[in-house]
Amino acid sequence: MASTSTDSQSTIAQKTWVMANNIETLASVDDIYRYDKKQQQDILAAKPWEKDPHFFKDIKISALALLKMVMHARSGGTLEVMGLLLGKVDANTMLVMDSFALPVEGTETRVNAQAQAYEYMTAYIEAAKQVGRHENAIGWYHSHPGYGCWLSGIDVSTQMLNQNFQEPFVAIVIDPVRTISAGKVCLGAFRTYPKGYKPANEEPSEYQTIPLNKIEDFGVHCKQYYSLEVSYFKSSLDRRLLDSLWNKYWVNTLSSSSLITNADYTTGQIFDLSDKLEQSEVCLGRGGFIVAGTDHHEKRTEDKLGKATKDACKTTIEVIHGLMAQMIKDRLFNSVSGRPSACAPMIE
Amino acid sequence: MSSADRIDFEMEVEVESASSGPPVDLPNPTSPAPPATGNTKSVVVTTATSGSVTVSLHPLVIMNVSEHWTRLRAQEGSPQTVIGALIGKQKGRNIEVMNSFELVFSVIDGDIVIDRDYYNLKEEQFKQVFSDMDFLGWYTTGDTPTERDIAVHRQICDINECPVMLMLNPAGIKGDQLPVVLYESVIDVVNGRATMLLAPLSYTLAAEEAERIGVDHVARVSSGEAALNSLVAEHLTAQRSAIKMLVSRVRAVLATVRAIRDGSLPPRPALLREAKALSNRLPLLTSQQFRTHFYNQCNDVALMTSLGTITKGCNAINQLVNRFNVLYDRQGMGRRMRGLFF
Repeated sequence: MASTSTDSQSTIAQKTWVMANNIETLASVDDIYRYDKKQQQDILAAKPWEKDPHFFKDIKISALALLKMVMHARSGGTLEVMGLLLGKVDANTMLVMDSFALPVEGTETRVNAQAQAYEYMTAYIEAAKQVGRHENAIGWYHSHPGYGCWLSGIDVSTQMLNQNFQEPFVAIVIDPVRTISAGKVCLGAFRTYPKGYKPANEEPSEYQTIPLNKIEDFGVHCKQYYSLEVSYFKSSLDRRLLDSLWNKYWVNTLSSSSLITNADYTTGQIFDLSDKLEQSEVCLGRGGFIVAGTDHHEKRTEDKLGKATKDACKTTIEVIHGLMAQMIKDRLFNSVSGRPSACAPMIE
Repeated sequence: MSSADRIDFEMEVEVESASSGPPVDLPNPTSPAPPATGNTKSVVVTTATSGSVTVSLHPLVIMNVSEHWTRLRAQEGSPQTVIGALIGKQKGRNIEVMNSFELVFSVIDGDIVIDRDYYNLKEEQFKQVFSDMDFLGWYTTGDTPTERDIAVHRQICDINECPVMLMLNPAGIKGDQLPVVLYESVIDVVNGRATMLLAPLSYTLAAEEAERIGVDHVARVSSGEAALNSLVAEHLTAQRSAIKMLVSRVRAVLATVRAIRDGSLPPRPALLREAKALSNRLPLLTSQQFRTHFYNQCNDVALMTSLGTITKGCNAINQLVNRFNVLYDRQGMGRRMRGLFF
């Protein structure tokens, strides 16, 4: 049905392509896009995740879902946005096939789905089933513009509620501001532990900068959930499209200037940093005079200063990257050797 | 001459298919035929016309179409035609295609009929989330547009007066060209009868910074999988590959100009003029103002770096002092304790 090509040659080419790809690609890469209802229901009935609170270890996100989330988060600006993930389960791995935005207006501190959003959700998923999207909701995502990927107290309770009633469920947090400033996607996937569960003492996950006004919220709840190992997948067609997309995209990589797009964020970071430094200084000053209980106290001061240092390094590295890009461009386009350009064309 | 014949023939088909709309007993056996014969002729305007609108296309749309096609193929086991709607923003003559969603259609006697109820439902849904976006057109997959696509396009015209059409060819990725073509419909009067034809539109790829990073991320993560630990290396790799592309493009221009000089290619004044204009633009910015700003920016960054380094130094010293204190205290404590007991 698809081969409505006029050119018989290209029809043949397409057929050989399809044949060549059907065998390999469909079996390996694109098989992930097929939805096996029975298999999924079996998994749902077995509920293997009830026995082990740490059951899900990996999450795979499709290229499409990632792009949709990044775009949606970005469109929200400084407001938090929220959406749902559609996907399925494969052993210990959660597969996110698609995502869609919810009509929820987030304030800066909390995102909460209202009754209207529930209605929207059901209608959307129903409509999606008609076009071959059979997956069910497997989680939710929301954005934390500028303050990193972790779950706040409200997020933890929302997620806990969902894990009680809607298993399997995952929470994804995405930070559009940091995505831009760091030049790579800043995203985390989390699942909460059931109430009362004490996780075996894990090593803390990768250090991330958290603004001073949020640090308490983070610290109180950070032991109630764990993060999943995130990876991404794409179809064979996506792969080829992305490859050729790059051929048009390189201009954007060259022309973007992270120094300018991130000016606000950088300023914010510096403010936050100065607050943190001040705080550690206060502790330091006190620490000098109070002799008793020094050991524990100094440890904490050191910790605070150490964290501030880490933040400072990160911010600095990001600006240096921006400057490097600017320098390269200056070299490329402005420092063309001193010969008068009007009479000497580029060809020699 | 032959093209006139073709159009004439197309008119025939038009008439036939138009009459097959109402339930007439006669054309039923021939109704599968029009698409079949329709395949052999072109519905695309071949003469180079500049489009009436400029289109910028977001990569998200391309990924969406690709995923839709892949999913249906995986579900059904064979490639399927997919149809969906394009949404985005329109400002005057500039169209920005930002997102898309799937559409339901049924095939009745070989003709595609769009499910309008489904469309209305989806429209209502996307309006709730992306209130500033409008319906702009539709997408499908395939090689070149056919009579069938024209028929769909007519239905889409009921929704939006001048929709654009995006065609993605999943089978034909040749070299580094993106297999995506955008069309707009033009009404040509042929033999006194208005006929709808499709004219290709040129488009640019729009990229928001976040989208660019996302695409970059997806493209690189799964292709390379190389775990670069250094942030600097990662950053520079992206820059380097962009510059590599630039160099290859400049080389291509250079080779063309050389070939024209040597006479192996016929001279094309327009192209040469463009190349000349491009080289004349270098160096790009030499004004004093730019220099000042640039130095300011450099100084800002240098200041930040220096502050960062100072912070780091402070931390190091603080650690040293603390450790020193620990050592010293223990000694002092020991002595004091000894004094107490003895």
